[in-house]
Amino acid sequence: MTSSPFLLEQAGRSAAPPDPSLVRIRDLIYKACGIYLPDNKFYFLNERCSRRLKPLGLRSIREYLDLLSSPKDAESEVRNLLNEITVGETCFFRNPHQLDALRRIILPKIKAAKEKLSFTRLKLWSAGCSTGEEPYTLAMLLLEECSALLKGFTWQIVATDLNDLSLAKAQEGIFDAYALRNTSPLYQQKYFQRRGPHFAVSDELKARVSFSRLNLHDESKLLFMKDNDVIFCANVLIYFDLTSKRRIVGHFFGNLLPGGYFFLGHSESLYGVNDDFHLVHFPGATAYCRPPGPSGGNSR
Amino acid sequence: MNTIVDGALRSRVKNLEAMPAMPAILGPLLRCLELPPDQIEVEKVTELISCDKSIAAQCLRMANSSLFSRHTSIETVRGAVISLGARRLRDILWSTYFIRLAPKGRWPLNPTAFWEHSFGCALVSQQLAEKICLPEPEKVYLCGLLHDLGEVVNATLLPDEFKSAAEFAVNNNVSLFEAEKENLGFTHCDTGKLLADYWSLSPDIQNVIEFHHTPELTPGPAGLVALVNLSDLLCRLRGMGYGYDELREIDFREAPAWSLLQQAVPRLEIFDIARFTLELDVEADEIRSLVASAFNS
Repeated sequence: MTSSPFLLEQAGRSAAPPDPSLVRIRDLIYKACGIYLPDNKFYFLNERCSRRLKPLGLRSIREYLDLLSSPKDAESEVRNLLNEITVGETCFFRNPHQLDALRRIILPKIKAAKEKLSFTRLKLWSAGCSTGEEPYTLAMLLLEECSALLKGFTWQIVATDLNDLSLAKAQEGIFDAYALRNTSPLYQQKYFQRRGPHFAVSDELKARVSFSRLNLHDESKLLFMKDNDVIFCANVLIYFDLTSKRRIVGHFFGNLLPGGYFFLGHSESLYGVNDDFHLVHFPGATAYCRPPGPSGGNSR
Repeated sequence: MNTIVDGALRSRVKNLEAMPAMPAILGPLLRCLELPPDQIEVEKVTELISCDKSIAAQCLRMANSSLFSRHTSIETVRGAVISLGARRLRDILWSTYFIRLAPKGRWPLNPTAFWEHSFGCALVSQQLAEKICLPEPEKVYLCGLLHDLGEVVNATLLPDEFKSAAEFAVNNNVSLFEAEKENLGFTHCDTGKLLADYWSLSPDIQNVIEFHHTPELTPGPAGLVALVNLSDLLCRLRGMGYGYDELREIDFREAPAWSLLQQAVPRLEIFDIARFTLELDVEADEIRSLVASAFNS
């Protein structure tokens, strides 16, 4: 899980009609990377676009829209803007709805399917794991299920990132209190040791996650990431152009077992990127499923 | 519903006249607003709304919500009548009446959640209809608002059965429809249909009330029913359900309602439901604050 694409806490809805240029920039961002900024984020978008005006020598959001629409500058400037709207922070248990869906719906379903085939292995991949909060969260969640739901199963969490510094920090496993703001006191006590103002992940947790460096552009390495049951890839694809994104998502599809699930960041979608995955809705969360075969959801 | 259940149910809910009556002013008002646009008298509508202070206040509150009238401040009843237009006003009047239907004190679920779900479904149905260009979108709001009318009947006239079904639903994380079917042998679709019939609601609304959980059984064109089915599901999955989570996974494109709606609106094929879902999250916050303000009044 890399940094969140924007702070959900930002800005309430403005009573005034949104600037039409901002509406078009919002659509442009969605087309470029699948990130959707709803109406109540226009204040935030305006503020982040405004930051780009000075270095570009522009005077208005309208001029900035023109630049973002020009064939010559569009690609590089959209990337700059994405960097601006990316807030560099993450935490443990960042998306509780996704985790709930994993624990209460997906894992029981995958487990039942595997048991029919006498398979007892489970593999989860955190692609773009940044400083490790996401894979450690998954490890805590699965450890809690070891004696009940996952009894008799062995499982593995693979965590990859491109950035060496992020990976080093992830492997070190030392976090400040802010990263644990969504972590219950019980889990803090069970899976962390207090070290002054910091928290160190327990050896038990560390042993459950294997970190490695992976460039998602490196197709030869992607071929070795097979047989995953669930892949998390939050706020990573925004950094790729559409062609690369399609290729990478194609690899994710191929690297999932049939019936496996692919989670993106809260506000990301694969619309226009991939038609093989099926979008599925869970309470408060969406994911993409590699179809196990012909079957429909329960839609009563 | 088979005829034995139908007969038994009819005798159980024969007391439909015990349902809260419409405010005296609402009937004439709604009749005024059903007239052809060129025959609607603004002054008369304004006068009728102003007769009931409570309706007038709720109308103004809703008219000023960005859910109904974006970016315009409306300060007088006359202003609301003019700027909203007959259809919007009719939708708002029905909404204010619907809030009054709450069987206070006899509701085993959180009543606020019920109204949030009903308003949510009305607004989501309407937005979905507009996005996909469903023919006759003006019908959609009321269909969404009233789709769970049967829950009001159940809570008012069959409170013990409703309570047991609601508890089963919450404890087992299933829909009320499934819980009612399992525990009662009938559902809010059946009881809602009886009240809709008693009130002589339009055939479209009656169909939505009766078949919104089984759109494939709809007699005749099922586009409207399918649209409300999908909106209802979306609301229940995005925090506008009945105040508890249903443990379910939905692939909308595989749902029976999707193909039924696609028969009515072929462009559904290219509809971006992921984006629509994200847009709903913002609406959900506004619906909650609107319902909170309506209840606090």
